[in-house]
Amino acid sequence: MHRIRLHGRPRQQSRDVQRSDGNAPATGKLEGPGERELAFVSTVPFIFDVLAYGAIFVLVVLGLGVIASMMGIFNFAHGEFVLLGAYTVYLLQQRGVPVWIGMLAAPLSVAIIGLLLERVVIRRFYAAPVAAMLGTYAVGLALREGVRGLLGGQFYSVTAPLVGSFTLGDVSVSKWRTAVIVITAIVMVASWLLLTHTKFGLQVRAALENPALARASGISTDRVYAATFAFGAALAGLAGGLMVPIYSLSADMGVPFLIKSFLAVMLGGAGGFEGAMAGAAFVGGSSAALPWFIKPVVADVVVFVIAIAIAIVKLRPQGLLSRWRT
Amino acid sequence: MSKTENAVKQRLQSHSRRLFVQRAGLLGGMIALGGGSYLYNPKGTWAADPIKVGIATDLTGPISWGGIPNANVAKMVIDDMNASGGLLGRPLQMVLEDTATNEALAVTKVRKLVTQDKVDVVLGGITSSMRNAIKDTIVNRGKTLYIYPQLYEGKECTPYLFCTGPTPAQQCDTFIPWLIKNGGKRFYLPSADYVWPHVLNEYARKTIEKNGGEVVGEEYFPVDHNEYSATVNKIMSTKVNVIFNTTIPPGVAAFFKQLYEAGFSKNGGRLACVYYDENALNITPAHEIEGLGSCLDYFKAINDPGGNKIQQEYNKLYPGNNPFTAGSASTGMYRGLKLWEAAVKEAKSVKREDVAKALDHAKITDGPGGGCEMVPGTRHVKMNMYTAVAKSGKYEIVEKSKGPVMPGECG
Repeated sequence: MHRIRLHGRPRQQSRDVQRSDGNAPATGKLEGPGERELAFVSTVPFIFDVLAYGAIFVLVVLGLGVIASMMGIFNFAHGEFVLLGAYTVYLLQQRGVPVWIGMLAAPLSVAIIGLLLERVVIRRFYAAPVAAMLGTYAVGLALREGVRGLLGGQFYSVTAPLVGSFTLGDVSVSKWRTAVIVITAIVMVASWLLLTHTKFGLQVRAALENPALARASGISTDRVYAATFAFGAALAGLAGGLMVPIYSLSADMGVPFLIKSFLAVMLGGAGGFEGAMAGAAFVGGSSAALPWFIKPVVADVVVFVIAIAIAIVKLRPQGLLSRWRT
Repeated sequence: MSKTENAVKQRLQSHSRRLFVQRAGLLGGMIALGGGSYLYNPKGTWAADPIKVGIATDLTGPISWGGIPNANVAKMVIDDMNASGGLLGRPLQMVLEDTATNEALAVTKVRKLVTQDKVDVVLGGITSSMRNAIKDTIVNRGKTLYIYPQLYEGKECTPYLFCTGPTPAQQCDTFIPWLIKNGGKRFYLPSADYVWPHVLNEYARKTIEKNGGEVVGEEYFPVDHNEYSATVNKIMSTKVNVIFNTTIPPGVAAFFKQLYEAGFSKNGGRLACVYYDENALNITPAHEIEGLGSCLDYFKAINDPGGNKIQQEYNKLYPGNNPFTAGSASTGMYRGLKLWEAAVKEAKSVKREDVAKALDHAKITDGPGGGCEMVPGTRHVKMNMYTAVAKSGKYEIVEKSKGPVMPGECG
């Protein structure tokens, strides 16, 4: 029956929309008889979709990007931090707390968990980035299976603070998705300001650039790393809290985002915060946009291929085999 | 190389006695825990050797929503059988293995069941890929009987493999005419890209067209897809009446939400999903799936004496997150064990050939959703089917099949 992994015959028989009246198979009718036929790609829902999914992606990648770019650690437990944020909202909602309070509590609780993990586990890996990937992966696995045990492997819904949709011309637009776009924009700008225009941001960048000199200048790099990691975790928690009404709470909710998030960070470059955001916008946007034009199964692959191609061009601008030519 | 790395390397390469003792202790502990299922043998006060029932199911991993209640049901039924005197004067012993939603691991687990524990029957597997992975080890190499409990895409005709969950014919034959009458003729089939939706859709399409309906679109998504705007837009602009959905959780939550926000049901559209049971009602808020139709072999709302008795006993033993439902294969597991019990009683033996012969026409008069029986020669069960509609977070039964529905497989 239903399952999470791909299985079965490679046969792909997505039949495109067939129309009973024959002509123009790629078009559809709008509501009401006698109206003009329009192409499927109606502009408003398309733009909204790309924005909304891009925003969710940026939100997820934000925390990952902060930790990767500021500390040089690829946090494989990031998807589970997102999950913990979502779980916090769910737990509080179960106890009758309004959802939006849960959404405020999510980044706090995940920041505390992140801080604890940093003190106990992550700090041992700063010198060994590859071991850090394995370590964080293990932490993520433990968190995910822990939550799965608590949920009994089930899926649970959380109702959004804003339910339903408003109409824009002929199209209805989800209220909560709109709110997520706005919140993402605010969080993105705030994070950027924090990292570029505050003393804390300066310390973080100094600790990244030259830890020894930073320590010599009286910056406790130890503390800065802990704070940065907690901040990244808080962003993941926020993403989870905001996302959970759109999807549903399940132990695997962070997983589909993880690989694409890494792609986004690679694409944007691990060195800078803005790069990761641009990468996220690209991966998220194209994941949402491509299914409008091609089969979703193919679109998924195409996103990966394009993103990997760009990453290769970025990492080896001279080409894959240039060494042998010279 | 950094200091930390050096330290780690040094530690891993050292051979001190203390480390040896530590590692030996760790290994010993792992072996004791890993093989724990057969280290203690609850033979009790019985004189005879126990009949061993192997349960191989996904207690952990993404499919644990199905595996956990499956194991619970098996434990409950086997305990009941023991309480009423066992089978053929022998006690039953359940040997449980966690297949962890991992086919490769599962093969070694069922190999252990058939070669080491020498179980007399294996029940389990939730997904089709799991069944396909373990069936050869159980049936052909292990020469053991295998009962598969989950609703599935059909076409499983391996000898000595009995299926006790609903097939496409059982889920479509009464349901699709109802959908056409109570929804409309224009169907859309959004699906996850794996074997169950592909094969089920083939059957659904045939049934839709036979009943005068029309398939407007059939579309496949990656299994973890969670962005459906393009499809929702297509559905809304082609005036689809019925969405026969086979996309799966967690993505299905986003899909139904986007449909709700686009006003699909409000404009008279009908959602349909044949794996939706009481568990699935939690996936989305109730108002988003108001009016969703499902067709299964059991719903709590049927309120039948057989089902109610099981519910009561089950909820007393296992209150919490994993209720007794049809979509999680719990009903199939119950049916499978009871039919097997009837077959063993008739055959007066646990030998595979004898039990299979009796199981081929086994019958139970009571169970979730009523009695059921094997259709001789097909290794599939004919059973009552029920169509239900979600109303404010609960199911309402809107139609019952006229008597048991034929599985339509391997005939």
